[in-house]
Amino acid sequence: MIGILLCLALAADEPVQVATPTVEQLRFFETNVRPVLVEHCQKCHGEKKQWGGLRLDSREALMRGGDAGAAIVPGKPKESLLIRAVRHEDEDLKMPKEGKLTERQIADLVRWVEMGAPFPQAQKTGARTRDPNHWAFQPPADVAVPAVKDLAWPQSVMDRFILAKIEEAGLSPAARADKRTLIRRVTFDLTGLPPTPAEIDAYLADESNDAFARVVDRLLESPRYGERWGRHWLDVARYADSNGLDENICHGNAWRYRDYVVSAFNSDKPFDRFLTEQLAGDLLPFANEAQQHDQLIATGFLSIGPKVLAETDEAKMRMDMVDEQLDTTGRAFLGLTFGCARCHDHKFDPIDAADYYGLAGIFKSTLTMTKYTKIADWHEHPLPSAAATAKKTEYDSKVAAKKAAIAEFIAAADKAVQESLAADPNKKPPEKLETLYPEATKAELKKQRDELAAFEKAGPNLPSAMGVTEDKIIDLAIHVRGNPLKLGEVVPRRTPPVMRSVPVPQFTDKESGRRQLAAWLVNPQHPLTSRVFVNRVWRWHFGKGLVRTTDNFGLLGEAPSHPELLDWLARRFIADGWSIKSLHRVILNSSTYQQASSSSRTRESSDRSLTTSATGDPENRLFSRGDMRRLEAEAVRDSLLAVSGQMDVTMGGSLLKVKNREFFFDHTSKDLTTYDSRRRSLYLPVVRNNVFDVFQLLDFPDPAVSSGNRATTVVAPQALLMLNSELAMQAAAGLADRVLADAQDDDQRLSRLYVMAYGREPSAEERQADRAFLVEVAQAQATDNDAEKRLKQAWATLCHVVLAANEFIYVK
Amino acid sequence: MNPSDFQMPASRRTLLKRSAVGFGSLALASMLANESSIRAADENPLAARLPHFAARAKRIIFLFMVGGVSQVDTFDPKPLLIRDDGKPLPFAKPRVQFNSTTNLLKSPWRFRQYGHSGLPVSELFPHVAQHVDDMCMIHSCHGTNPAHGGAMMKLHTGSDNFVRPSIGSWVSYGLGTDNTNLPAYVTICPTLGHGGLNNWSSAFLPATYNGVPLGNASVPSDQAKVKFIKNSLLPRDIQRLQLNRLNAMNREHLAQTGPEASLEARINSFELAFRMQTEFPKVEDFSGETPATLKLYGMDNPINANFGRMCLMARRFAEAGVRFIQVSHSDSNVQWDQHSDLKNGHEKNAREVDLPIAGLLADLKQRGMLDDTLVWWGSEFGRTPTAESANGRDHNPEGFTMWLAGGGVKGGFRYGATDDYGYYAADNKVHVHDFHATLLHLLGLDHERLTYRHAGRDFRLTDVEGNVVQELFA
Repeated sequence: MIGILLCLALAADEPVQVATPTVEQLRFFETNVRPVLVEHCQKCHGEKKQWGGLRLDSREALMRGGDAGAAIVPGKPKESLLIRAVRHEDEDLKMPKEGKLTERQIADLVRWVEMGAPFPQAQKTGARTRDPNHWAFQPPADVAVPAVKDLAWPQSVMDRFILAKIEEAGLSPAARADKRTLIRRVTFDLTGLPPTPAEIDAYLADESNDAFARVVDRLLESPRYGERWGRHWLDVARYADSNGLDENICHGNAWRYRDYVVSAFNSDKPFDRFLTEQLAGDLLPFANEAQQHDQLIATGFLSIGPKVLAETDEAKMRMDMVDEQLDTTGRAFLGLTFGCARCHDHKFDPIDAADYYGLAGIFKSTLTMTKYTKIADWHEHPLPSAAATAKKTEYDSKVAAKKAAIAEFIAAADKAVQESLAADPNKKPPEKLETLYPEATKAELKKQRDELAAFEKAGPNLPSAMGVTEDKIIDLAIHVRGNPLKLGEVVPRRTPPVMRSVPVPQFTDKESGRRQLAAWLVNPQHPLTSRVFVNRVWRWHFGKGLVRTTDNFGLLGEAPSHPELLDWLARRFIADGWSIKSLHRVILNSSTYQQASSSSRTRESSDRSLTTSATGDPENRLFSRGDMRRLEAEAVRDSLLAVSGQMDVTMGGSLLKVKNREFFFDHTSKDLTTYDSRRRSLYLPVVRNNVFDVFQLLDFPDPAVSSGNRATTVVAPQALLMLNSELAMQAAAGLADRVLADAQDDDQRLSRLYVMAYGREPSAEERQADRAFLVEVAQAQATDNDAEKRLKQAWATLCHVVLAANEFIYVK
Repeated sequence: MNPSDFQMPASRRTLLKRSAVGFGSLALASMLANESSIRAADENPLAARLPHFAARAKRIIFLFMVGGVSQVDTFDPKPLLIRDDGKPLPFAKPRVQFNSTTNLLKSPWRFRQYGHSGLPVSELFPHVAQHVDDMCMIHSCHGTNPAHGGAMMKLHTGSDNFVRPSIGSWVSYGLGTDNTNLPAYVTICPTLGHGGLNNWSSAFLPATYNGVPLGNASVPSDQAKVKFIKNSLLPRDIQRLQLNRLNAMNREHLAQTGPEASLEARINSFELAFRMQTEFPKVEDFSGETPATLKLYGMDNPINANFGRMCLMARRFAEAGVRFIQVSHSDSNVQWDQHSDLKNGHEKNAREVDLPIAGLLADLKQRGMLDDTLVWWGSEFGRTPTAESANGRDHNPEGFTMWLAGGGVKGGFRYGATDDYGYYAADNKVHVHDFHATLLHLLGLDHERLTYRHAGRDFRLTDVEGNVVQELFA
């Protein structure tokens, strides 16, 4: 890429002026050039000293040069004094004085000058890399809605922001997608499932103006919505049912947090509330037991992270967990990577080690674990309820009764033995008389004991949830280079000062400060919280964010493609009471969302705009058309289950076969976890270090790390999955059963098949090819005498192909 | 897998070119997003790539002994340990230990010198000992974590508490592979415990570079297969018909939608998958091997057959062009983790692996493959010279031995040393990061230049550490 930029740069006749350096260029500068300048040059040519009248700490200064003239000629390393000096080309100008740079460092400087010497803008004002004036640290602005030429296209205010940029680029938006495309797109988008034939028919029949808005409303009310969007959040929350890393133990109660998230989305819990409960639910007042439990469960967010439970260095373990919580909180809500500052000031963002330890004190004052010695134990909140307590009491009394019965039985048997022994005074009674019981008595005793053991094993545990509570309140000292044994100055708990638009919260020695941290985050003046979240929602709707680096809004993150729209959405989101469902409506009920994809050649879109958009905006950063997108892992599996009529839509609860706190894997590699359930994918166990292979293959994110931007890869093992897995084979068989049951002749069957799988009728050519295929398969299977079986197999084979095809898992 | 932080503009044509081939993939989004400078614009992610500088080895076979082999009982004899048996260790134990140990415990095995080089090997490895003149022993290895999970992840990924790409993934990313019908990185019967798939995952590198597991440690090696490699219900001719119809459907769909790189990539991926179904069984089919070769690997006896099969598969994968092949010796019990009963445990384990490893070295040599194949033998850590529970040894990341053979390293060579009792690495210490840097160097990769941008910074296998141990090179 640098190469391409370079070619473009050299093609220009004039000295290259890099007005706005690209992200890649700045990255190159920050990693390869600035360190060399700082370390080897600026001591003598910087802010303090300017030997030879030369400064090398801004592009302007480099261009201005010193006594010998300009230090660089952008694009022309050979004419640049800086390069001649470091190459030792002139006898009297060899730099740096302390010794020649390495060949690599020199090559990097040359390459940088060739690029046109890109230098971050901030440098002009004398700011460092850690620019506190970075856009993301300023509160969202109250922006004016831009003027547009095409007044017919926008359906909403949001559309005007999008259209303005499209028009600015001399392009025009794509036509509206057809209705079949739209209902398929929005149904997958909001529920992760394909629309049913009846739903498609209803929408096609609805000719009112707000037909689409009504589909959106219907889908938002479906419980399937929370399962889909809750799962998005679970990516961010790095949700898993095991701790992962080393000794891999079952998070037997993590599912309560998962169910909490699903229900939060379904009930449209305001995001500020959602955030606050996850960070500080245990500290909030509650109106009733249900609310109290919900809030306790929400703090699972802080507890379900990956942990090295066999870490033998307790001090390190504690700080590793604090770090994990802090880094996840930072990524999830602020889009910042705090983890860097554990060992040193952040290289790029204005977050220094003191800022890190100011926040870390909050989590150090929070109790996550009850035991830090290997193998460590995490805290769980008991969730007492009248019903559960009654059940437990009843059970306990049954256990006591069984135990008493056994004791009585033993006493009687002992007595019998003693009596028989008394007859022979020479026999010394053994310590345990049991060995002398008659066989029948032994057998009866064993039976009673086995029953008791089984009963105890199946006993109800009082429900509890992973979560955090308060620990000893403490301010942390800076750990020099992250080392818990090398302590620097103590930093009182505080929020990073760079986000200065929000009043500084008051931390006390009475509370960890999680409550204050949450309140600070959801302050409407906070520059990041609302922006980061609306950007996540945008990403999940469109496949890419307005800021494409959804989890990094820092200086190395990407700038927003539509900064004004981002701010407008953020403010609108807050004005709508942080309602996520309202945000969906704003986004979905827009012409932007409803455009045809570049890839859909519908009747309307045969116009010129699409071609123009594809060439003028190859990455579709302007959102001047829809994008073709592959379904995520869960949606692939759920769709297979749905179209084959096999899905079990039971909600919530645990499918774990391993008990709470028991090993998934210790020394053994025996996998006890099964995934043959027909429940929706989000209810399947998520075992860190051994994620379900169907998910692994289809780009399920690493559940050890917060992630708001799943990758989509195409690898051959995915094809093996579709060709050979039981999942695919069973879905094909199930779909064939439905198709055969629903319709009598092949034409009807083919219609049914295509509508269920693709939401459309097959073309005449497709019908013909499929019929030919059925004949071929039937011939190949001619050895089977059972005609009905042959028919079913042939259809299953065809259904298998239909489900494996691109059209099934790509949504346009 | 993880998000891309940087998306570079790519022309539609570039996208389409990229979609042309490749076993693994078109990790489209992430490929575009994260490529570092070693990657030219239009290539298949698994295409063989030139190294940074001349390579001494083309591939690695890693023989991983799960659980922690004791150095003082195998390759690092300590006379003072025999003399001072039962006495306290005359210096401090580490601040952090896994369990507590008592006094010094001498090795139950005698050592002998072998070959022209006279390198010492204990009675546990009589067959491997025949190859000392090809072996390069590093006695001063040390790591950072005394627990299996942390140490295993450190050894495989360079990090003991974050999920990072494994070394095999880095190598695949750096060098690609010569056979794009197979993955660049396979791992045979890996353990699911202690890091599990993190030990072979590509983490944030594109999924193409994931290690492809064959079975796991609880599966006998003759049943260790790539997941979904075979359809148990559909005959091959029917599957061929399916693929033909599928291809036609996908082509028609593509014609309807217009050019779309990911759709084309997926069309190709099905043909590749179909070829893989033939390719893998070929590697696993030993019918062309002579009885002498099978015997060399111990396939003719029940003690060695399981691990011998893995070693022979490793050679066959190496021949087939796979870049990084890991073989794990494990079982569903405690592996090499002898906290007690060192004698029986280590003897059982050594008996299982000694002959097949020797066979692999001999076979590679006789085929001329040892010159450019680097064999790496080791554990996640060593064991303490002090006793745990009377007759066992605890984990010890402070000093342990790993050895290399072939692939451009000196043969009959010992490097570094532990202290007089074999507890701490003392002379010419080689940290796991240094070891990684050295392995990459042997493959022609500069560990400081093999970087990948993720989450706002460039990552390396060696983090900010790692010194290449030049002294090992032939």
